[in-house]
Amino acid sequence: MNAIVSTHNLSKRYGDAYRVNEVNLEVHEGEVYGFLGPNGAGKSTTLKMLLGLVKPSSGKVVVFGKEFDKNRLSILRQTGSLIESPSYYGHLTGLENMRIMQRLHDVPDKNVCEALKIVRLENHKDKKAGLYSLGMKQRLGIAMALIAFPKLLILDEPTNGLDPAGIGEIRELIKSLPQRYGITVLLSSHLLSEIEQIATSVGIISDGKLLFQGSMEALQSKSQPRIAIKTVDNETAHVLLYRQGFHSVIEDDALIVKEMNDEQTAFANRMLVQAGIDVIRIEERRKSLERIFLELTGKEKSL
Amino acid sequence: MKAILLEFYKLRRKRVFLMIVLFLLVEISWAFLSVSMAMSRNPDKAGWEGIVVTIASMNGLFLPILSAVVVSRISDMEHTGNTWKLLMAASLPRSRIYAAKYACACLLMLLAMILLSIAIATFGLANGFAQPLPLSLLLRFVSGTMLANMAVIALQQWISSAVKNQAFGLGLGMVGGFIGMTADLFPEAVRRIFVWSYYTGLSCVTYKYENGTMEFVTRSVEPALPLAVVLMGGAVYLIGSIHMSRKEE
Repeated sequence: MNAIVSTHNLSKRYGDAYRVNEVNLEVHEGEVYGFLGPNGAGKSTTLKMLLGLVKPSSGKVVVFGKEFDKNRLSILRQTGSLIESPSYYGHLTGLENMRIMQRLHDVPDKNVCEALKIVRLENHKDKKAGLYSLGMKQRLGIAMALIAFPKLLILDEPTNGLDPAGIGEIRELIKSLPQRYGITVLLSSHLLSEIEQIATSVGIISDGKLLFQGSMEALQSKSQPRIAIKTVDNETAHVLLYRQGFHSVIEDDALIVKEMNDEQTAFANRMLVQAGIDVIRIEERRKSLERIFLELTGKEKSL
Repeated sequence: MKAILLEFYKLRRKRVFLMIVLFLLVEISWAFLSVSMAMSRNPDKAGWEGIVVTIASMNGLFLPILSAVVVSRISDMEHTGNTWKLLMAASLPRSRIYAAKYACACLLMLLAMILLSIAIATFGLANGFAQPLPLSLLLRFVSGTMLANMAVIALQQWISSAVKNQAFGLGLGMVGGFIGMTADLFPEAVRRIFVWSYYTGLSCVTYKYENGTMEFVTRSVEPALPLAVVLMGGAVYLIGSIHMSRKEE
């Protein structure tokens, strides 16, 4: 698959602090790439660098196989974006806002109608954008980004401010874009559940560093099941299991063993009981994606 | 051109034209009242020079403020809607947006100057001035005032684009209006550093006091003055444009 967006050691430094530190993103054609990270991790700064709104301190950005610095205008013509809060002219109607984007991109009237229809704003198009609810503004922002039906769509926290029904609607819309219009989507979020439901690939960033990048399946495979064995004497049980070739760690008040099949579990249980150690509970534990995310980002307390 | 037309499109419902007309109405009413009183006292001195010089000196007060308001309206809409990044991400470089906004403000002020000239002509014709309508005088008046306007707009645009709070830009316009009105009282060397002093400085008619009486004299402006204002305006425009182009969103 072709890489639509790739960054090479992309960094942004403000003073001595790195907001983005040697990030190597790779977004392939037809993907919905979820860019996940806690607030202040460097997601927006990275996306702004992809659009030329922020100049990188070092590294380079390649979009559609062309270096951004040298092909800025041709790249931006094929890219739609919604960065941070939605941008709009509050004194103009939704339709007039769309007309501005239409003139900028030189696209026919039918694009305006279709983009408004996609975000279900066609009935509110004659209302001033300043009077829209936050959700409607967000939808207008998405319609403005979609107007030229670009090859690449960059959305920064697109579901911010939307109610649950709106979030579901936008989620379905984003998921459908690669197939319906051949649009590759790069979207950021601080909500794991959102990325989990939309994205086919994921990049996790924290404190400016890209900690994980790969397919959603690769991330999910990190959540392989582990067997937790709780005994009356975990210390002795740990030694006994080790002698039988099982590597366990004591976590909370149980022994955790990775990659243990049913036969091995039954064997370990029998062995512990025969050694006079009462087994209180044996259970399968699966790391939630959230747990993986928190471990990766080291932000256990709050996002 | 597309970017300039876009600026005019964005000004819809901003009532900029109405505001310009109302602003000029105040200036014209004041000037015409003052000229009418002067004419009734000295009917033999009624002429085009009197009305042109009165309007030129009032321009020093009114036009810096009007320029500040027009520029502020054009710049503020990008700040309030966070639309700088929208336009830039839609492949419009910031220097082009800046240039389009500058051109838009200049065209609006040119329109104001044309309206002002029409008002002067109407006033003169209605009062039956002896001389015919002096088109070349009006043309020199408009071009001199526009040069001063262009430099003032360059300064206002820099401030209004760089500082989100438009009170700064409007405050500067008011300071400019004060300096523009009182510029002729400053020594020559001091007054030439202020762009606002060129409204009267570039005027093709001026006052002359002789034996306790005031005369209106037509003069040809020294070429150094328009050159100075063009250089000042050009420098401020370039600094503003470069400053804004380097700004990150």
